[in-house]
Amino acid sequence: MKRMKRGAAVSTALALAVTMAIGITPSHAATTLTMIAADYPGDGHTQQDQWNDFATRFHAANPDVTVNVTVKSWNDIDQYVATQIASGQTPDVVNKGDYSAPAAAGLLYPASKIVSPATLADILPTFLNNSKYKGTIYALPDLASARALFYNKELLAKAGITKLPTTWLSLTTALGIIHRKLKGVYGYAIPLGPEEAQAEFNIWAGSNGGSYYDYATSKWVLNSAANVATATYLKSLTTKGYTEPNPEKCDRTACAQALFAAGKAVFINGSVFLGSWLSANGGAKIKYGTGSFVANTHHKPVTLGVQDYFTAYSKNGNQAAIQKWMDFIYMPDNYAKFLVAAGGFIPATKSAGAKAASDPALAPFIKLLPNAVFYPGDIAAWNSVKGQIQQGIGQAVSKDPATVLGQLQTAAAAAK
Amino acid sequence: MGVRSASPHYYLSTRSKGSRNPLNTVRKRYRIGALPWITPAIAVIFIMVLYPAYEMVKTSFMSIDGTGTSHGFTGLSNYRTLFRNPDLTAVMERTVIWTITVVVATVLISLPVAQILHAKFPGRRFVRYALIVPWAASVVMTSTSWLWILNGYYGVLNRILLSLGLIQDQIQFLGSPTQSFAWLIVVAVFVSVPFTTYVILAGLTTIGEDILEASTVDGASGWQRYKNIIFPLLRPALLIGMVINLINVFNSFPIIWVMTTGGPGNSTDTTTTLAYKISFRNADIAQSAAMATINFGIILLFIVLFLRVSRWREDS
Repeated sequence: MKRMKRGAAVSTALALAVTMAIGITPSHAATTLTMIAADYPGDGHTQQDQWNDFATRFHAANPDVTVNVTVKSWNDIDQYVATQIASGQTPDVVNKGDYSAPAAAGLLYPASKIVSPATLADILPTFLNNSKYKGTIYALPDLASARALFYNKELLAKAGITKLPTTWLSLTTALGIIHRKLKGVYGYAIPLGPEEAQAEFNIWAGSNGGSYYDYATSKWVLNSAANVATATYLKSLTTKGYTEPNPEKCDRTACAQALFAAGKAVFINGSVFLGSWLSANGGAKIKYGTGSFVANTHHKPVTLGVQDYFTAYSKNGNQAAIQKWMDFIYMPDNYAKFLVAAGGFIPATKSAGAKAASDPALAPFIKLLPNAVFYPGDIAAWNSVKGQIQQGIGQAVSKDPATVLGQLQTAAAAAK
Repeated sequence: MGVRSASPHYYLSTRSKGSRNPLNTVRKRYRIGALPWITPAIAVIFIMVLYPAYEMVKTSFMSIDGTGTSHGFTGLSNYRTLFRNPDLTAVMERTVIWTITVVVATVLISLPVAQILHAKFPGRRFVRYALIVPWAASVVMTSTSWLWILNGYYGVLNRILLSLGLIQDQIQFLGSPTQSFAWLIVVAVFVSVPFTTYVILAGLTTIGEDILEASTVDGASGWQRYKNIIFPLLRPALLIGMVINLINVFNSFPIIWVMTTGGPGNSTDTTTTLAYKISFRNADIAQSAAMATINFGIILLFIVLFLRVSRWREDS
């Protein structure tokens, strides 16, 4: 009896092994592309539906290519892509916020190989300039965003402030008035929590002539005099109670934008999509205006431009199929659908850009773009340094600014 | 020796050396015969435990860039980078404080709670079930609830205190690192108490009524009875509960991650969350593996301790 059972088990196992071996034998004509894409709307389905629709229609037109798109939240996508690569399951196409580290590691096809010359010619040169590694374009910008100063009109009127501040000095004065006159309202919501601290600090630093990286000397300059002065200024605002308490704990969405939506913050550095976010998240009643950021004396106001990318990995050797797929994505009709699914961003192509310029929600941001500062996204270590800035830079307003920025500088210099 | 063949341990015993014993061949066949049945278990240990541990230690000696691409072995450089982290000492100290405080507080609370649940009272079954809830609920869920209870702007705790007139302004309970770390400990204790209570409760049920009765007859007071009879008899259960808690609390990730992500900076990190951050926020898988290897060493120490404790129990 026992022996019979064992025999049966062995033969079942054998049969199973044979079936599996047959199952994984590739059929020769077909190519399967794997793509990992970030979830722009963050609701877990809109973007996945859009990509599934693309993949189905693409497969109908190109029966020999199947595309599997996995959509991942912004919180998880970096780590997901890294583990996929580390475990030998390199994807073919990735859509997320950085490209320099894989470009430096030699993992990417150059842009000229992943889209046709016609598609490449349609992409705005400003964005292509931010997609280079050592002179070669390695990534295709998928869309961009810019930021502006948002303010609550009613609260500002209630505080009796009729003119928007234009310098840090006049900003401090205005915030002081708000602090005295409006109880339970914070003057400026400054989110230096991990979610977007790198963006928030970059805007303030840029308005004081500071930056994260100095291209002239090819060095990180996180603790430059300008950056320390910026952090010291922000700390002084927090200490006086002009900002929400504990900016280092305040994430952009759950804290700063929520405060603005609840009418509890007068000023906020908002992204191009903040308007649509407010109406979808309980802030529809907020009457807001937009303007340019406040700069320190002798400095020009800047905006922060952020662009994201499509990158294509060469490991699986699917160049021809990738090019077909990427050209398909950038076809004007499809690209428009992608932008709609992503929700309210600035397009990266000339054809779509021309249309967007007449969109009242986007036009002011597109005008700001020529003065935009960008992240040092072309430096190989940027993704790692960004993570360290996100975790740590908020403490520059709760501890000693110079010490905190000095530690970040040391860590950045050692980052690979 | 041969007489004890009734015991199932006998066939696996290394003491069965007698070569002339006719039972020996039978035993050998039994031993080989056991192989198909224990192979899956051995395979699981190799695939799920030993191989990943080997990969982890190997990774800690390799150079891996931000994309996840490996550039070969690099010796101790990941460990050197890790030890240069100015926050590491503070994180290590915090891990020790975290583990000891949570375990000690958990045991101190669980002892009386178990005593109450052991006593007979109407509705005892309901109370016992109710206690399981924080244990059965996902820790992520519990931590998220606490995060919102303690929220400085919309939290219900602020609401209650304001309505009672106990405070004038909202309190940022998770504002300063010291304060939020204290709250993390509170939540960790809250989550650990049910399990520990049940372990102690199990220990209590093994204490015979007769001993307790005898002590009452001898005129022992309640406290004397607890100190001299119940507590000593509880020691085995208590020690096991403590060691399992030590390991759980040391490895605890979700509470800290959900409530503070170890931040701001590294100011509420333990070595477990730090390892995760180095890997997935700073994109340094190899350095994270170095941190994880050190964690693994510490946990091994705990396991040795655990084995000691269980042997100590057998011997007595």
